[in-house]
Amino acid sequence: MASDDDLPTIKVLLIGPSGAGKSALLTRYCDDEFDPESSAATIGIDFKIKRLVVRGKAYRLTLFDTAGQERFRTLSTSFYRGAHGVILVYDISSRASFLTMERWFDEAEANTAEGVALYLVGSKLDKAETGREVSSEEGQALAEAHGARFCEASAKTRANVRDVFVNVVDQVVQTPGLLSGRTRRAPGTVAVGSDEGGYGSGCSC
Amino acid sequence: MESLSDTLWDVVICGTGLQQSLLALSLSRSGKNILHIDPNEYYGGPDAAFSLQEAEAWVDRLADPSTANRGFRSASVTRPEGSTGLSFPRAYSIALSPQLIHSRSKLLSQLVSSRAYRQVEFLAVGSFFVFNPAPGPDQKPSLARIPSTREDIGFDTTIPLKGKRSLMKFLKFVQDYQSEASTEIWKPYADSPLTDFLQKHFKIDAQLQTYIIALTLSLDGKITTQDGLAILFRHLTSMGLFGLGFAAVYPKWGGISEIAQVACRAGAVGGAVYMLGTGIKTHESMGDELQLHLSNGETVKAKKLVRSSDSVGEPGISRLVAIVGSTLNGQFEALVEGAPQPAVSVIAFPSGSLHTSAGKVSEYPVHMTAHSSDTGECPVGQSILYLTTVATANSKELLKNALDAFLEAMDEDPRPQTLFELYYEQTKGAGESTKDGAIFNLPGPSLSPCFDDAVLDPVQEAWKEVLGEVDTEYMTFTDREGVTDEDEMYD
Repeated sequence: MASDDDLPTIKVLLIGPSGAGKSALLTRYCDDEFDPESSAATIGIDFKIKRLVVRGKAYRLTLFDTAGQERFRTLSTSFYRGAHGVILVYDISSRASFLTMERWFDEAEANTAEGVALYLVGSKLDKAETGREVSSEEGQALAEAHGARFCEASAKTRANVRDVFVNVVDQVVQTPGLLSGRTRRAPGTVAVGSDEGGYGSGCSC
Repeated sequence: MESLSDTLWDVVICGTGLQQSLLALSLSRSGKNILHIDPNEYYGGPDAAFSLQEAEAWVDRLADPSTANRGFRSASVTRPEGSTGLSFPRAYSIALSPQLIHSRSKLLSQLVSSRAYRQVEFLAVGSFFVFNPAPGPDQKPSLARIPSTREDIGFDTTIPLKGKRSLMKFLKFVQDYQSEASTEIWKPYADSPLTDFLQKHFKIDAQLQTYIIALTLSLDGKITTQDGLAILFRHLTSMGLFGLGFAAVYPKWGGISEIAQVACRAGAVGGAVYMLGTGIKTHESMGDELQLHLSNGETVKAKKLVRSSDSVGEPGISRLVAIVGSTLNGQFEALVEGAPQPAVSVIAFPSGSLHTSAGKVSEYPVHMTAHSSDTGECPVGQSILYLTTVATANSKELLKNALDAFLEAMDEDPRPQTLFELYYEQTKGAGESTKDGAIFNLPGPSLSPCFDDAVLDPVQEAWKEVLGEVDTEYMTFTDREGVTDEDEMYD
């Protein structure tokens, strides 16, 4: 059986202001968990890996959270490298969080390759009845202005969570040239870690 | 979210160059709470990588006395008249201090043991060349590839048989130079120039001496026997370590800058808090704590502060970066079947091989690394050249002349065009780390064209300083990733 490393890897980032619910979406999607008490900034996890099969083909999906570096807007250019998709998350119950999205779009567009799949997500849909501060139409309009897809979701109720990730992955694999069938290692690069395949896997003799 | 001023930070780290970034990674993953700040709006400090726009803004800031940075000076950008073909500014990533990393470097093993390496793409550094000036007025200068393995030497057609024999003998000696018998031979020459040792003990001629000195990448070309042997040993034992045909690697997208950013991200994953565009204005001691007044008006408390030493301001090296509109065919060939395609080559212009328009001969070597578009530092169809030499009154002109001579030696018709040039001087930093109560000052960056493992020692020293006597292994961490077991199927 082929190892995970041989699968084409899709790199998807979750960005957006602190407290928008990026990690909650990620945890709901990957582990089907939701912790209503957890509001701490995200630390501890580098990225989540999920193997998935789309249209009969297996992929290795890597999901990168901001590790708290969104707080003072210090995400590095290296964070964005090689991303195939970016999920931009704001909180529909916070006008302030929505108002930062233009800048997050700018940053994502400046640091990623052309054709990258952009997806705008209004999170905390469960608060739609009681605390909505951003209309769904506004979200839709912002997404359209940036050629992004849009939906509202709730990590608490699971509403639309899976759809977000599925649609991003689907868009990535459907965009010609975006994935270019590459596996984990780009051509010409060399392996320096002993657990990697490729040039470095043999002995040095 | 907790405010910054309510927290008593174990350590505040100022600056995001390689050393500080590795320290943030190691300390945050060792459970310390870290505030990591940088007065610059970008990561990397002296190791940063810039788009064209960022490079031009940096040059402007250096020209302004209120924002000048003591590590760099005399910066200027030139866009040669009539040149076309420059792409959009973000298509470029110019490394301020590009360095090759030998495969056997401790930096790589630390990146692997700390699990940070997977976010960095490493590329092979291929051939080393020596520049030969034009032998006559109507002739062209040329490049000679340095054979650096015994097989290579065997196949070389330019070296006479006698030279081959002495060269092979020397390489064999280097591989065993730490043995007792070998040490006895080189010890008397330890502090004299390596060239003396090559000449007297191995009867290696002047031409082959330049090859060997070129491999050491010695800034002034006057490397001692002891230092030279150590570097050559590292080079030879690095060869083949990660694959056929190369002894060093280069991180894609801007070299060391990329490692610094990845280390900072790993620091953040470990819980470190990041702020850019924020420096320390003043600080004072309050008992066991330091009060740090930040440039953004906030005051934070810390048990320790780690920062870089002030530059001593002595002239160091001159650098010229040139973007050229050519793929420089022949510079990036894999020489062994099955070897990865190199993205970087090295060209040494030995002392005396260049001269100024006034006829003054170059006293120091010029080193150049040529980077192909595979480095991600320039678009396809272009290359980026990094030249360095010891800063002197003539160094700017000599670097320009070296660039011209190299393009001449490429023998392409039409001659490759220069699209963009960035010149600057980098001053020497403090040579050693210093401690002042709760403040730890890291030494200045190394100016060498290849990464010097000695840079890592003060980082470990600072780590120990903060952690005290502990039983943990330095820079050894487990993966921080979440793998879900079940597969998802979407059809």
